[in-house]
Amino acid sequence: MSEKPVHIAQISDLHIKPPGSLAYGRVDTAAALSRCVAALNAFAPRPDLMVISGDLADTPTAVEYQHLKRLLAPLELPFVGIPGNHDSRELMREALPQAYAFPSGPLDQHLAIGGLDLLLLDSSVPGKPHGELEASTLQWCEATLASSPDRPALVFLHHPPFKAGIWHMDRQNLLNAGELAAIVRRHPRVQRIATGHVHRATLTTFAGVTTTICPAPNHAVDLDLAQLREPSFKVEPPAFHLHSWYPGEGFGSVVTHQVPIGEFDGPHPFFGKHGKLL
Amino acid sequence: MNVAAGHGASVRVENCGKTFADGTRALEPATLDIARGETLVLLGPSGCGKTSMLRIIAGLELPDPGGRVLFDDKDMTAVPIEQRNVGMVFQSYALFPNMSVADNIGYGLKIRGIGREERARRVAELVALTNISGLENRRIEQLSGGQRQRVALARAVAIRPGILLLDEPLTALDAALRDRLRGELNRLLRALGITTIYVTHDQSEAMELGDRIVVMQKGSIAQIGTPREIYFAPKNRFVAEFIGAANIIESPVENGHLVLPGGRQPIGGDANLAAAVAMIRPETIRVVEAEAAPLKGIIDSVSFIGDRQRMIVSGASSKPLTLDAPNTVKAQAGERIGLSIAPEAVRLLPPGS
Repeated sequence: MSEKPVHIAQISDLHIKPPGSLAYGRVDTAAALSRCVAALNAFAPRPDLMVISGDLADTPTAVEYQHLKRLLAPLELPFVGIPGNHDSRELMREALPQAYAFPSGPLDQHLAIGGLDLLLLDSSVPGKPHGELEASTLQWCEATLASSPDRPALVFLHHPPFKAGIWHMDRQNLLNAGELAAIVRRHPRVQRIATGHVHRATLTTFAGVTTTICPAPNHAVDLDLAQLREPSFKVEPPAFHLHSWYPGEGFGSVVTHQVPIGEFDGPHPFFGKHGKLL
Repeated sequence: MNVAAGHGASVRVENCGKTFADGTRALEPATLDIARGETLVLLGPSGCGKTSMLRIIAGLELPDPGGRVLFDDKDMTAVPIEQRNVGMVFQSYALFPNMSVADNIGYGLKIRGIGREERARRVAELVALTNISGLENRRIEQLSGGQRQRVALARAVAIRPGILLLDEPLTALDAALRDRLRGELNRLLRALGITTIYVTHDQSEAMELGDRIVVMQKGSIAQIGTPREIYFAPKNRFVAEFIGAANIIESPVENGHLVLPGGRQPIGGDANLAAAVAMIRPETIRVVEAEAAPLKGIIDSVSFIGDRQRMIVSGASSKPLTLDAPNTVKAQAGERIGLSIAPEAVRLLPPGS
């Protein structure tokens, strides 16, 4: 077993539109992605892989996937993606040929990076906003998890299997979450379930596993926990997630960081002359 | 209420309960019929299930399996909220803080594809109706609480909803403003005549606004009735004490009289009981000369309220009685007085109530 830590960057919900177009009439998602790419290129240590957990495009159209690829060209890390409800499986297969588990249907993938396994699940339902894991995905997931019971695994999917408390997002989360829970409970090697869709950094425990939602690099869904406003967004600070796996006893440990994208004052030292606190 | 003039949809809540994922029961299965144009108030303390009931009618929650919601006899249970044509006013108003008053009011119309001119006309109509002329171009964050509440109401009504749902819209306002707006809200609801479901924990709001009131407790309906029915004929102790002030007396009964420490009190109607739980409202107890009175007590305190005097009298019943006397009655703490109560004013409640 490899002794090196593995760093997986996760970005999500890019909503790339045709060049010159703004998402929702206001948000320049292309510029946001460019800033995100620059931030990842500058990050140390260099992440081993970047996972894009869905909604790569917006409408979607082939032009948007071409635009996405041009925006990702400067990225110095390898990357993989899974579809969200704003994606098309066919257009994504064509634009991003990857080692998908199935030649058609769900875009599931398994990757092994050093001592860590990644399972990428396609929760998209063509034409619908909510998520569901198809029978073939569930079977594949179960079989893949069963095949190497001693290796830690991170599971990625677009739709969260839990309710974040935002009414118009909760009704379009992963509808068959119970089936995922049953599989996860049978496989203690799952160390993290990482999702997107809600455009907010959110955390919970699902089926005994720490489960996250990744923030978006562009805009956030308004945290409308009580006010029942119509579905709205706010341009909150952009960020990405970094899941760092450290080898150790048992399955090791996974630490997830929320990394803001932008220019911030620092880093400045804490200590000055004679090692005294400044 | 003039049913013939009522607008909007009739509502039937059929066997709707709500259990949360952790097993807690927010609402026991309940059935409720709301007439077109009626203002129905769901009243009760925090946790009684009134908001769960409202959310099920709105379409924000699904009832437990077996429950149905019908608008004009049409099953709406599976219809999402944005297709139910309901207008909502919630405690925190849910307005867009950085949009103008006019844009907020017109938002629901905009997303329904209503053109600019018609939108402007409708917004002007509602601005006049809710008394906020001159504020059209202000941003929400510049308005007072009372002004925001009017904007929220205008916005809810703009789309010509079949049903208007209000969840404690006055609760966040200070007492004086609340009283004033309550009257305004009442006039507005009467003028609109739309089927309205109003949730509150405040019984004076319920009494003033409701054609009928549904009193709720711990997830169940305790009583449904008009304000008069609820006030004069509460079905149990909870309802009696929740609406208005109530003296609750538990005592043995003899010969159609309550047997009390300070004397005897006749009860009206059929009183073939050995013991009773009775409710007597403070305004029905008259202060008389102690001499020949069937029921006597000693005044503990007198509070001059203005339009009346509130007196606490002990010794008549096993617990002190509260009564409201006219403001002209001369009485002092420590005085021995007689109490006269008409038999019909003694309302019997179920035993163990």
